[in-house]
Amino acid sequence: MKKLFSVLLTICLLLTSAAMAEGTIKIAVAAPMTGDNAEYGIGFSNAAKLMADEWNAKGGVKIGDEAYQVEIVDFDDKSDSDEAQIIADTIVSDPDIWGVIGHFASGICMVAAPTYQEYEYVNISPTSSHADYSGIGDYIFRNNTVIVVETRTGAEIAVNDLGGKNIGILSIDTEWGQSAGNAMEENIAAVGGNFVLRQEVSTDAVDFATEIANFKAADVDVIMVAGMYGTLAPFAVACKNSDYDVRLVGCSNAYTDNLISIAGDAAEGICAPVSFFAGNPDEKTQEYVKAYTDRYGSAPSALTTQAYDSVGILLEAMERAGKLDREAIKDEMYNTEYDGMSGYTTFDEIGDAQKVFTKIMVKDGAFQLAEF
Amino acid sequence: MQTLLGAIINGLALGMAYALIAVGYSMVFGVLRLINFSHGSVYAFGAYMVYFFVSLKVGLFPAILIAIVLSGLLALTIVKLALEPLRKKKSIPIATLITTIGMSFIIQNVLSIDYIFGSEKHGFPSLNLFAPIVIGNITIQSSQIIMLVVAVVLLLVLTYVVQKTKIGLAMRAIQQNSRAANMVGVNVNFVISFTFFIGGACAAIAGALIAGYYGIISPTMGSTIGLKAFAAAVVGGIGMLHGAVVGGLVVGVAECLAAQYLGSNVRDPMAFVILILILIIKPTGFFGKKGITKV
Repeated sequence: MKKLFSVLLTICLLLTSAAMAEGTIKIAVAAPMTGDNAEYGIGFSNAAKLMADEWNAKGGVKIGDEAYQVEIVDFDDKSDSDEAQIIADTIVSDPDIWGVIGHFASGICMVAAPTYQEYEYVNISPTSSHADYSGIGDYIFRNNTVIVVETRTGAEIAVNDLGGKNIGILSIDTEWGQSAGNAMEENIAAVGGNFVLRQEVSTDAVDFATEIANFKAADVDVIMVAGMYGTLAPFAVACKNSDYDVRLVGCSNAYTDNLISIAGDAAEGICAPVSFFAGNPDEKTQEYVKAYTDRYGSAPSALTTQAYDSVGILLEAMERAGKLDREAIKDEMYNTEYDGMSGYTTFDEIGDAQKVFTKIMVKDGAFQLAEF
Repeated sequence: MQTLLGAIINGLALGMAYALIAVGYSMVFGVLRLINFSHGSVYAFGAYMVYFFVSLKVGLFPAILIAIVLSGLLALTIVKLALEPLRKKKSIPIATLITTIGMSFIIQNVLSIDYIFGSEKHGFPSLNLFAPIVIGNITIQSSQIIMLVVAVVLLLVLTYVVQKTKIGLAMRAIQQNSRAANMVGVNVNFVISFTFFIGGACAAIAGALIAGYYGIISPTMGSTIGLKAFAAAVVGGIGMLHGAVVGGLVVGVAECLAAQYLGSNVRDPMAFVILILILIIKPTGFFGKKGITKV
């Protein structure tokens, strides 16, 4: 009887360990899925799922001798700091989650990141560009450049390509908006442009009459906008309605379908620097764009693609680590050499990536490679 | 001088927007002595209805007309669903007030459900129907002129309704003493419903015009502007229709001047700074009469 029992027990254990081998690892996507920045968050989630499914189709992620299926778990932070903190606490209380892709806005990322650092969860933000973000800890990475690099290309568009004589800046009053605005001021000077006026607005502003009057009075002919499409689109409409002949240069977050659907004709001529452009004729890019478009009905944006690559980067680091150990995964993150859709990615010692930016412009109701 | 004039003109345009909403607040307050905080959301609902019917290609003006009727009906639903039962139970006035705030959140959140309109901003057809007027450096958009004209016409029509018609007489009677009005044969429930309907219709007109001016709508579009319009209504003397218009203009101009000379950060608090100042200096507002409480 005793023998029979021990045999049964062994079989049970074997069965459970077999079930373990068929296990899944979870990756959290934490981003705004509702509210004004929803298009970004939903893009993150879509891209992450596409990447996870590609891995799963190949047999999953191989850690040591075992293969794991990848499951993406969505968390909606509503672009709200309180909500982000709650989500961070929820994520770190789930031991099956091995990495966090998110959050979207820098200010929100910086609220959640200390929690991930404390509990040693690898956190890759596909978008945070605030200078201080990745310095929060060694578990904190970004698959994005700091804002100074991105706005450098923006400033080149404003000064060299559009030939702006007097350049203005419109920035939103968030942490990101202020740091982006400062970076723009620096970069306009760095490329030899003439910065004349900066105006700050709240994120939900729709009335830009005062700002436009001030820009007009200062003879501003090119405005760099440090805001999301929720600010850029109504601002473009307001410029058009008040007959203000000005060129607008956004950031890479301007590259969204919503910008064109909200602003309509007023979006014509808006320029932006992006790390990925779906219209790029490169074969690999087109394969990815097709896979994404077939599944979700629209082409991926640059920020969406950075999220897509972030998942790939994390999974590769997990494979290299060879064990489910948070510290080992983190260490392997620094050895990343990832040839993704948003460029070739490596991380420096504080966890920042580098990107090469392409210039795009809205023309005939669609984003196209910019020709000046 | 140019910038000062520009700021004043921008302020007047913004002020007309506030005035359009404030008139609705005043209308309902005049009869019910009730601050209807769902007004801002009905305004957003009105704008969304215009957006929806324009997307069905019924044309802009028919869309606005349909939106006006639907928003009126929505306001009516609020009365029938939430306020009338409370009135029957003789609940305290503050309960009614809180109910209107609750209704406001319900409408706002229903609008932002993904399968309905979603929580994101949407583009809205422009109301710039004719060429702008350019004087020197200052451009006056046609949508601004339309807002001004409509606000004035609306004010005149509503004043006529309240002062000269039979139902207006009934409204004023209820305002003074609803029980006595009931005894002399005024159908109190009907008059209150009618007033809410008019209030909702005003909100839809404001929604269509303001969304057409900015070219943008979002489910939360009514919350800040609704509070500012409420401040405007109080500044002008709540319950006084012409007071609402003047209050709206004062708040709008003050806001633009503050943004121009003190910085954008001062813009949003400005309406409330004025509200507090007015409440201290002249608690009844510019045109308000001192209320007589009957024992």
